[in-house]
Amino acid sequence: MLLSYLVVLANHLALVGPTLSEAVDINKGLIGIGAGLAVGLAAIGPGIGEGTLIGQAIEGMSRNPEASDNLRATMILGVALAETTGIYGLLISIILLFVY
Amino acid sequence: MDQFLQNLPAETFTSMIVMFIVMIFSVIIFLKSKKVDPFKKPKGVMLIAEWLVSSIQNMLASNMGSYFRYLEPYFLTIMLYIFIGFLFGLTGFPSPLSYYLNTFAVVLTAFVLIHFHALKTNGLRYFKRFIEPFVVFLPINIVTVWTPLVSMSFRIFGNILAGIILMTLLYGFLGYLSSIIFSFLPVGINSLFLAPFIAPWLHMYFDLFSAFIQTIVFISLAMLLIAQERPSNTSEKSEDHATA
Repeated sequence: MLLSYLVVLANHLALVGPTLSEAVDINKGLIGIGAGLAVGLAAIGPGIGEGTLIGQAIEGMSRNPEASDNLRATMILGVALAETTGIYGLLISIILLFVY
Repeated sequence: MDQFLQNLPAETFTSMIVMFIVMIFSVIIFLKSKKVDPFKKPKGVMLIAEWLVSSIQNMLASNMGSYFRYLEPYFLTIMLYIFIGFLFGLTGFPSPLSYYLNTFAVVLTAFVLIHFHALKTNGLRYFKRFIEPFVVFLPINIVTVWTPLVSMSFRIFGNILAGIILMTLLYGFLGYLSSIIFSFLPVGINSLFLAPFIAPWLHMYFDLFSAFIQTIVFISLAMLLIAQERPSNTSEKSEDHATA
């Protein structure tokens, strides 16, 4: 099953491959890879960080329901601060795609 | 001169429009506040104005103490400018903060305030902070001076830019999808039927929610960074000053 799939794929690439390499420059391909990696790797950090932050905030709210408004406001502030490094990656990716 | 005025980016004029809106709002509140009775409940524009002023005063008192009370008009103006600047993207015109130099100028005012207060309280001992704790830390300390400027301006600019790009892609895709679904209508009209139902929900996140969050984050960060430059012989909490 896998072998037949690989044969069909190789056949397809053999027919399509040579035309692609004439149509697209390798520079544009490398820029595309760079833009993808920039935002892909930059999105790991804020994901983990914000998840931890919100988890701790919820635990604090469950221990002390009276402080929950204060905790909610501080949590939103912290999430926006932690989001910044993800936005740096997005900015680099946009500059790569639209300027080069 | 004509060539210069024709080639200016659109966000320059939009910035002036936002400034006019903030000025007119302030003048209206000024004129109305003379006629309002202070013992009755406020309504309409005065309610918004009282809520804004009291929230900024609470944030100032809790973050910075009473030494910096004269900065309250500055924070109100910056908050109004950034908030209306975000919301201005909801009209068809480009938001002024989508041009990086406008955002940089707004954050530069906060940066100048921070360093002005640092120089005022420390005098020439201000330059000692580059050598703390070891002389080897000099490049790291120089970068630490510029980091708040870059990070605060890129936070606002990146949020707006991400919103603009995502909404442009969404509108393009919804137009294409609508022109496929409603292909029995003529060509110019069949792409207009799907976007009004789906795009407003995303506008609510990218424009409204983002505006609230980013203004609060910017104001809190600016207050915290300025409050670090307080002279050390004033008290830290506002409750130490006895108020009637």
